[in-house]
Amino acid sequence: MLKVEDIYELIKLIDQSSIDEFTYENEGTKVTMKKSDGLAVATPAVQAPAVQPAPQVQVETAAKTEASTQTNEPVENKNYDHEIVSPMVGTFYSASNPESPNFVNVGSQVSEDTVVCIVEAMKLFNEIEAEISGEIVEVLVENGELVEYGQPLFRVKTK
Amino acid sequence: MQSTRNKLIELLAENRDEYISGQELSDRLHISRSAIWKHMKQLEKDGYQIEGVSNKGYRILKFPAKISENTIRWGLQTKWLGKSIIHKESITSTQEIAHHVAKEGAQHGTVIIADEQTNSRGRMQRQWHSAASKGIWMSILLRPAMLPQNAPQLTLLSGTVLASVIARKFDVTPYIKWPNDIIINGKKVAGILTEMQAEQDQIQYVIIGMGINVNQDREDFPDEITTKATSLKIATGCEQELVDLIQDILLQFEKMYDNYLQAGFPYVKTIWESFGFKIGKPIVVRTMNKEWKTDFLGIAKDGALLVANDQDKPEKLYAGEIDWFKEEE
Repeated sequence: MLKVEDIYELIKLIDQSSIDEFTYENEGTKVTMKKSDGLAVATPAVQAPAVQPAPQVQVETAAKTEASTQTNEPVENKNYDHEIVSPMVGTFYSASNPESPNFVNVGSQVSEDTVVCIVEAMKLFNEIEAEISGEIVEVLVENGELVEYGQPLFRVKTK
Repeated sequence: MQSTRNKLIELLAENRDEYISGQELSDRLHISRSAIWKHMKQLEKDGYQIEGVSNKGYRILKFPAKISENTIRWGLQTKWLGKSIIHKESITSTQEIAHHVAKEGAQHGTVIIADEQTNSRGRMQRQWHSAASKGIWMSILLRPAMLPQNAPQLTLLSGTVLASVIARKFDVTPYIKWPNDIIINGKKVAGILTEMQAEQDQIQYVIIGMGINVNQDREDFPDEITTKATSLKIATGCEQELVDLIQDILLQFEKMYDNYLQAGFPYVKTIWESFGFKIGKPIVVRTMNKEWKTDFLGIAKDGALLVANDQDKPEKLYAGEIDWFKEEE
């Protein structure tokens, strides 16, 4: 699956090349880039293929990629610079069991391997690690809530 | 050490009824005859009965029924699963050990097995009763090259493995209660819990923990679960061999896993549904803020539970409490 970074990388490479038009298709994600009049302008168009209905998860993937491309625009007055997102559909748990304290709360300092929550789907428990160092400034979901693929769970201020 | 001992067992096992001389063993294993003798003593500790006759050599009289790294490995026909086995007599939980060795770089296919677990966990840390040597308490470490969002399919795969092995080996009819509890005569005989460490687009490792009740009698279960739990012994009426069952499970797991990687989830789905508990029957679904009675329609292409929603349209569920027995109460 293509990540936003990958798309940026592609744009850069195609930008520098003599290629006028480029299409990449894999697992229900399609990226088309086209230079306008040979000028160095490229537009990533992430879309689900129209011909064959892709499995739902993959459609969501494409949609999320698009969304995150847009939200990459700088937002003013935000007190966070990173979002920890869910890698899968499932139930969000803020603690390992109902009696235990939350893995993290607003104000918690996290590092790369700090477990911030568990997402469960079909009895698979995924311990989500922060993958970044910083401070949790916002918890976006409630314990027991169903989360989607790519849904932001925590906001982190890294500086 | 370990591999020498395995080769030794292999050599002895190949010869089965014939004696093999200490000199020949020493030549083929490139170790001294006194080292051979030390290994023999160790094997006897593991429960092997070895006969040593002067001028003839050694032969194995009996393979142990006891679980050990050696007994599981001997006769195990897998290609990659269980090439590394960690066996402990008593540990807190095989999951805990598995996490530990996974973080230290243990290889794909490592199997962790215990005679007894003192602090085993089920869903949401519910205690799982795992008595000494009465069942199979085992964790399988995998490092699959797949997207984390597809990993829950591995839990359904594990359920189909257990159900297929039980159906083939014993004269009982197992069902899989979504996603992967194994049910015989309406009672739980095995449970599976899977834990994963993953990044956004890459799985570090997956640990599949299995608990299978094998040789418990009714009185072995705590009172509060006697109405919900059963064992293969209770269901079949006789004591079952643990080592043999473990080997069958590992072999079937490897086959199904390899097929799944090649053919994808539809392959697993078909087998899963052939064992599906209550397909087409009413169940009660409870999510965080609602509860409703609906028909269990089967599983979706990605393994999610399919139920009819209030508009009679199929709806996918990935988590939530399901009351499978409401109708019977």
